[in-house]
Amino acid sequence: MTASVIEPTLTVPQAASAISVRSLWKVFGPNADRIVGSPEADLSRAALLESTGCVAAVRDVSFDVLPGEVFVVMGLSGSGKSTLVRCLTRLIEPTAGSVLLNGEDVLTASPARLRELRRTAFSMVFQHFGLLPHRKVIDNIAYSLEINGVKKDARYARANEVIELVGLHGYANHYPEQLSGGMQQRVGLARALAVDPQVMFLDEPFSALDPLIRRDMQAEVIRLHHDLGKTMVFITHDLSEAMKLGDRIAIMRDGAVVQMGTPEELVASPADDYVADFIRDIPKSHVLTVRAIARPLQPGEDSTGPEIDVTTIVRDATPVIIGARRPVKVIENGVLVGFVTSDDVLRLIGSDGVDGP
Amino acid sequence: MTTVATVKGTLRKRSVRIGLVVLAWIVLAFVLRGLNTLVLPTSENTPFTSVLRQAAASIRGNRTQSGAFIYFFNPIRAFVESFIEVIRAVISLPAGNNIIPLVGWLGVVAIIGFIVYATSNWRTSLLAMGLMFLCGVLGMWTFTMDTLAMTLGAVILSLAVGLPLGVWAGLSDRVLAVLRPGLDLAQILPTLVYLAPLALFFLIGTAAATIATMIYSIPIAIRITSHAIRSLNAGPVEAGVSMGSTRWQLLTKVQLPMAKHTIALGVNQTMMAALSFVVIAALIGAPGLGKPVVAALIIRDVGDGVVAGLAVVFLAIMLDRATTAAVARTGTFVHESGRARTRRRIGLGAAFVAMVVAIVLSRYELWAAVFPPNLVMGDTIASATSAASEWITTNLYFLTTGFREFVTVGFLNPLETMLADAPWYLTIIMISLIGALIGGRKAAITSFVLLALIVLTGLWNDTMVTLAQVLIATVIVMLVGVAVGVLVGRSRRVERWMKPILDAGQTLPAFVYLVPVLALFGPTRFAAIACGFFYAAPIVVRVVADGVRDVPSSMVEAATAAGSTKAQIITKVQLPASKRSLMLGANQGLIFVLAVVVIGGFVGAGGLGYLVIVGQSKPELQGKGLAAGLAILFLGVVLDRIAQAGAGRRGRGDAA
Repeated sequence: MTASVIEPTLTVPQAASAISVRSLWKVFGPNADRIVGSPEADLSRAALLESTGCVAAVRDVSFDVLPGEVFVVMGLSGSGKSTLVRCLTRLIEPTAGSVLLNGEDVLTASPARLRELRRTAFSMVFQHFGLLPHRKVIDNIAYSLEINGVKKDARYARANEVIELVGLHGYANHYPEQLSGGMQQRVGLARALAVDPQVMFLDEPFSALDPLIRRDMQAEVIRLHHDLGKTMVFITHDLSEAMKLGDRIAIMRDGAVVQMGTPEELVASPADDYVADFIRDIPKSHVLTVRAIARPLQPGEDSTGPEIDVTTIVRDATPVIIGARRPVKVIENGVLVGFVTSDDVLRLIGSDGVDGP
Repeated sequence: MTTVATVKGTLRKRSVRIGLVVLAWIVLAFVLRGLNTLVLPTSENTPFTSVLRQAAASIRGNRTQSGAFIYFFNPIRAFVESFIEVIRAVISLPAGNNIIPLVGWLGVVAIIGFIVYATSNWRTSLLAMGLMFLCGVLGMWTFTMDTLAMTLGAVILSLAVGLPLGVWAGLSDRVLAVLRPGLDLAQILPTLVYLAPLALFFLIGTAAATIATMIYSIPIAIRITSHAIRSLNAGPVEAGVSMGSTRWQLLTKVQLPMAKHTIALGVNQTMMAALSFVVIAALIGAPGLGKPVVAALIIRDVGDGVVAGLAVVFLAIMLDRATTAAVARTGTFVHESGRARTRRRIGLGAAFVAMVVAIVLSRYELWAAVFPPNLVMGDTIASATSAASEWITTNLYFLTTGFREFVTVGFLNPLETMLADAPWYLTIIMISLIGALIGGRKAAITSFVLLALIVLTGLWNDTMVTLAQVLIATVIVMLVGVAVGVLVGRSRRVERWMKPILDAGQTLPAFVYLVPVLALFGPTRFAAIACGFFYAAPIVVRVVADGVRDVPSSMVEAATAAGSTKAQIITKVQLPASKRSLMLGANQGLIFVLAVVVIGGFVGAGGLGYLVIVGQSKPELQGKGLAAGLAILFLGVVLDRIAQAGAGRRGRGDAA
């Protein structure tokens, strides 16, 4: 089951991926580099700590992120997700493995090349914003350009562009401490966008915000992604956020990826009890498409109902299904794959909180 | 059966064991009284002090020949001295054929006013100018200028060394590890100990005084700067790295700007430390206000001492207010808006013009050059103070002398008998035992070794005399400090009311406390104890108050909800919960008291401090003075180790 979900992503040719991560390890502790590849690597977290004094924060993680994709890494605190994202940009040096950015090996890059990558190819948004308190909004946003030697006029012009883009108009000369949390994170987003990076890393960017602001900011990210098509690696501990934003989601536990797939795949077929436990609270009708509830026409049913596409989310299809008052045709590429009625929708909603679709 | 178990359980309690050791100590000290006390008359040398004296003599003789002097000490001395002389030439020394310095008093007041206005605000600027004017009114203008020049020079040099080292230690764990023992030692070392060795290598005078001041204040600059870098919010720093900053860019564009506020605080602390040291460095020839203070102490002239002491106080308040106001301005990163900035620029321009006018006036008009004699009221103040002190000592005799005798006869004499009149081995064993009970084997071994070394210096008996005073003063400080600290910690109102007193208490140089204490209690051991009390009380109150305030309010709330009385909340919740702060307060109190009690040797308290001062003035006793400095150092480390082990912390907090 697990294999069938993960395999397809691994067969993607590496050259086509924006980021390709293979067998990445981060072990903290004495003689950490000896752990990887030794029998101890297979020990559980507690057993490893007991026998070697080491903690494997990231263990044998592999994945590919396609260009323009939003790839979400989701896990509870201590699952290693923040360490993982820092390993990708070498804010934390990984113990073993490889990270390719458009085919270039990041882990063997020289310090100068790494700085160049950080200035131009990656950018990062932090949970606690990480704004420089002594700089105005515009100088915060222009920081990367400034340290890369871009002239003042050019970098201010670019900074003003992104200020408009993230809705910070009129705040260019404010200082971070004069802004609300949500506005500060807009600055964080603008700063990450200013260098027009190939990949953006967002480390729990909205966890420190109020729920209402968080929702606005999630919408903002969806809009920005829609407009700019940036490749994003998004870290979160909030599954509904992951479902909302992610094209694909990797769920981490104790440093390892336990399941990877689209939101629908996760909800439809959780790899183990851990994942099942997680998605229990996710309303299935918000994630699953009508494919999941499509069925053959029962004898005596009306076959003249309206058509909907098979990729429609159940929630979005509900008005049509209810309005039709008869079975609705589910169509895939012009071919009829089944029928759906409002009873099927109700049955799906009724199964929320119970294992299995 | 149960009683045996209870007795065993009680014996396992640390406090009970310590009590038993003390009891045994008292009994044994009484029984063995008078044996092996190692008393040494002041004028006599021991083999060790003789060796030191010869070493000192040979160092003095080698000043012109030895390579170390020609290539190391003498150039440093020449550089430091000329650096200070440049500053003094501007504000205090007669320039060329003139009888006045380059800038007269009005000019200096105007310059200070302008600088303070530029770095903080006009209100602080007025205060600063007013305080400087008062120093003139006291008739202490030239002395004040000398002290100011010495302080500024020492601060500039200290920061030139301390800030880069502090930044380095902030960035590198290895550098901090190398510097740490020195920094820790500097926190324990009483000021008096620095003087003699430095005078030996750099001659008595401006250079030795400045370098001693630097050695005292550089560790403070390093400690706070390194703390400033280390305690930075990690988020922006990580963001800076993630955006591809080089190390230099990270330092100059992220870390230093963010650490600016704490570093400014470090400048303030360095300045106040330097000022307090410059005053005491009068003992090795530093020009300035320390000289009249020392002179007044020697002839016990309370009036003159108070006048000079007041000038020190005014200068200290001026420097402290000016730098804290500047620190407050760095507290926010938000710059003022356009209109406020324009207004400020106009203000600065006007202030600058006024300053230039004042400087020019002070060079061409006598009244602006030399402080007008008809404004000077120093003598009036001096005689009024003398009269007042006379009145107090005659009419309030029962209060001052009564209290003094109560403490001296009731506590100090018995303790001194127990420490100094008992055999040395008994005292060493008992202190080591208590060290073991409080701090474990390591503290016991350290105490034992260092106390044995004190025996070898030959100054055992004098050390015990000093120790008795230190312990009594610390107990008094802790009793008062905990009581007041609890009050301050529990009530915002009391805190507001006490804050100025505590601030002033922490900025004043230890030396100035000697004057009023001498007036009240006469040249006695109790004067040294009182001096130590006044100097250490503010820090103890502050540490205890912080501890009590930091007790989680939920704990107090829960205790109140359970129906505790106020006294129960204090004794059963707030004090036990802030135990660490109490121990920290005791540690700080001990160290502060030791620093001042040895200075008390100056006003008849005897002990090690007296030997240091005598060694300074009599060449044949110079070895003894140096040995006394060593003994003070050893004693300080023993007290610090035991108290620190009691507070249960490894390494000292950087913010302390």
